[in-house]
Amino acid sequence: MSKLNETDIQGFVLRGYNLPVARYLFLEVVPHENVRLFIDKLLPTITTGEQWDNGRKPDSTVNIAFTHKGLKLMRLPEESLLSFPVEFLEGMKARGPILCDTGRNGPENWEEIWREERVHIWVAVNASTEEELESCCARIQQRIDATGGSRVIGEQDAAALKIDGQITPKEHFGYTDGFGNPDYRGFERDSQPGQGKLMPDGTWAQLATGELLLGYADEAGELPVAPVPHLLANNGTFMVYRKLHQNVATFRRYLEEKARLYPGGKEHLASKFVGRWRDGTPAELSPDQMDPSVVKDKSRNVNFTFGKDPKGTSCPIGAHLRRVNPRDAFGFNGQLINRRRVTRRGLPYGPYAPEDQPVRDDEQRGIAFMALNASLARQFEFIQQQWIEYGNDSHQGNDKEVLLGNHGDLEGRSKFMIQGTEDPKNPPFLCGGLPNFVELRGGDYFFVPSMTALKMMSTGTVDPR
Amino acid sequence: MPNQSGSVYGLTILSPILDDPHAKVSHDLQIRMYLGGLKDERSPFAKVSSTHMARLAVLNDVVYVGMPACEEHLRSQYLVFESNFDGSLDEYLEKMAVEIPEDVDAVWGHCVGYPGTKSIGAFQAYMKKCQITTTFYFADVNDKTVNQTLRALQTQEAVGVFIENNQGKPAEELRQAFAAFLEALRAAPGPIPGSGLNSLGRLAAGMEGITRHE
Repeated sequence: MSKLNETDIQGFVLRGYNLPVARYLFLEVVPHENVRLFIDKLLPTITTGEQWDNGRKPDSTVNIAFTHKGLKLMRLPEESLLSFPVEFLEGMKARGPILCDTGRNGPENWEEIWREERVHIWVAVNASTEEELESCCARIQQRIDATGGSRVIGEQDAAALKIDGQITPKEHFGYTDGFGNPDYRGFERDSQPGQGKLMPDGTWAQLATGELLLGYADEAGELPVAPVPHLLANNGTFMVYRKLHQNVATFRRYLEEKARLYPGGKEHLASKFVGRWRDGTPAELSPDQMDPSVVKDKSRNVNFTFGKDPKGTSCPIGAHLRRVNPRDAFGFNGQLINRRRVTRRGLPYGPYAPEDQPVRDDEQRGIAFMALNASLARQFEFIQQQWIEYGNDSHQGNDKEVLLGNHGDLEGRSKFMIQGTEDPKNPPFLCGGLPNFVELRGGDYFFVPSMTALKMMSTGTVDPR
Repeated sequence: MPNQSGSVYGLTILSPILDDPHAKVSHDLQIRMYLGGLKDERSPFAKVSSTHMARLAVLNDVVYVGMPACEEHLRSQYLVFESNFDGSLDEYLEKMAVEIPEDVDAVWGHCVGYPGTKSIGAFQAYMKKCQITTTFYFADVNDKTVNQTLRALQTQEAVGVFIENNQGKPAEELRQAFAAFLEALRAAPGPIPGSGLNSLGRLAAGMEGITRHE
C-alpha cells in the first residue's frame, strides 16, 4: 500500500508520544452552535502524525475525540450518526454486561461524570514538563472560554512514575510496562520483531492498516464498519478510555501471602502473574531469573512465542501477557489472533509508592488506559470478554485473567493456575481466592477523527449523501 | 461413519412442516411459539440424559440475497433438529419417546407424516426417514460421555480447592489429606446431567463435601 498521509491522522493514533506527563480533559457540550467554533479554534493546535525528525519533538501535544453523544451534540447529520457501529452508538456503560463491568466494576462504582455519561469530548494533552502541561491546558481553557459551547466537567492527570527522581516505565504494581504495540502497514516507525503478526516462517510482519485505521482493508481484506461519508471515517479510529484503579495494598498483601508458600520466591511468583519479571524480562525467554540484557534488547524484548511452551512451564498459560496477546498459543501460526489486536496508550495516575511504604487501596493509584482499534466489538470487547473475563480460549475454563479479571463476581472462588516442572523452585502452584486487583472507575467509547473530519465537523459540512 | 465421532453420535433431522392454508395460526408459527415458551425453563432434553447438546430451529426457506445469486426456494418449511449424544440412535430415539413424549409430540405434531410417540417403532422409523448425514459436530465433543465430562469437571474443581487448601503442607500431612480427599471424591455422587450451573458458573450439584473452602 502507499504511504499514509500522516498529517491527516492524529498523532496519538500513530505513536505513543513518550512524554512523561498528561492531562485528559473531559468536556460536556452545551447545546450551542459555538462548540463547532471551539473545534475550529483548537484545530491548528492538534498534533498530527507528522514526523519529528531532527529534534522537532514538541513540548506538548493536543488530541481530541468524541463520544457518540458528543457527535450528536455537534449536530452531525442523523444519517451519519446512525451509520456508526452499534457498540459505539451504545457507549461503554451500556456494554457493561458484555464486558463484565458489573459488581465492583459496575457503573454504580464509577465516577459521576462516567456514570451519568456526561462526557462528550476527550481532549488529551501530553507534555514534557509540568509547566508545559499547565501552559498548554491554559491555552485550551482560553479557547473554551472564548468560544463557549462546551465546558470542562472533569480532568484526569497522569504521569510516568518517578522513582528516585528518574522517569520510569513502571506501573503501580511494580511492573515495567509499555512493551510492544502492534505494527501496521504504512506506518513509518522502527518496528521490532515480535510486533505485528507472526508469519509461517517465524518472522513478524506488519498488520493490515485496517486493524487500526478506518478506510483501509483489515486482516480479512474487508473495510471495517465505519460511518458515512467516507471522508468522515477515513484516517479515523475508535478509542476506549478506561480509568483502571489499582488496589495496590491488596496486590502487595496477596503477593506476600502467596509467596510465603511459593518455593521460587516473591519475584518469581510476580513474574508468573504477568509473564514478565517486574523488571520487564519476558518469562518465556528467561523463566528462572531477570535478565536486564533482554529488557534492553529491542530485537528480543517482545520477540517470543509460546509454541515451544505448550504446558506453560516457562510462562503460565493464564499469565497476563499470554492471555491478552496469545501470539501462537492457539496454534495456526498465530493467525487466530491477528484480528484481536489493539494499540494501547495511557499512563499511570497517582503517586508512586515504594515497596516499603505503607499503602491503602483507597488511595488514588491506577492507569488511565486507552486502547485504539478499528472495531471496538471485534478487538477491544472481544479481548475483554473472551480473554480477560473468560478462559475458554486459553483452556482455563471459567478462570479470569489474574490481574484484570473481575474476580469479585466469583465471591472469592476465582483462581489462577501456575503450571510447573519437577524443579523444586518451579513447582505447579495454585493461587486461589483472587481479589480484584484492578477495578474500573469509568470510561467510554470515543471516535478519534482525522484532521479532515475535524474540519468538516467544525464547519458543519459533514454530508452523508 | 460420518454420523459417529468416536463414542458420540451426531443426529441431524429435517422434518417437513405441515402447510395448511386453513390453519388459523400456521404450523411453523405454532412450533416457534412453543419453543419460545421454553426459554426460561430447563430444556426437555435435560431429561434425555445422554444429550451433550440439542438444538431445534425452524427453517423457513433459503434466503435470496439478490443478484447475481439465482432465486431458489425449498419445497417445504422444515423443523431442524440436531443432537449430539452418547449411545446408539435407536436407544436415543426410544429415550425421547419415553422421557419427553409431551414435548416431542408438541413440536413434531406440526410436521408432515408424524406418527406420534405412542408406537416407539413407528416414531423411530419416522425420525430415521427424516435423518440426513451429519458431518460437523458441536465443537466441544471430545469422545467423552456426558457423565465422564461432568465427572471430570467435578474432579477438576474439587482438585483446585484441595490444592488451595493443602499446598505447602509437609509431605506426610499432604499424603493423608489427599487420601481423605480421594475417598470423599470417589464417594461423592456424580453431577446430575442437565442440572446446570450455579450462580458462580460452577456445577450446581454433586460438589458438597469435596469442595469445602477452609
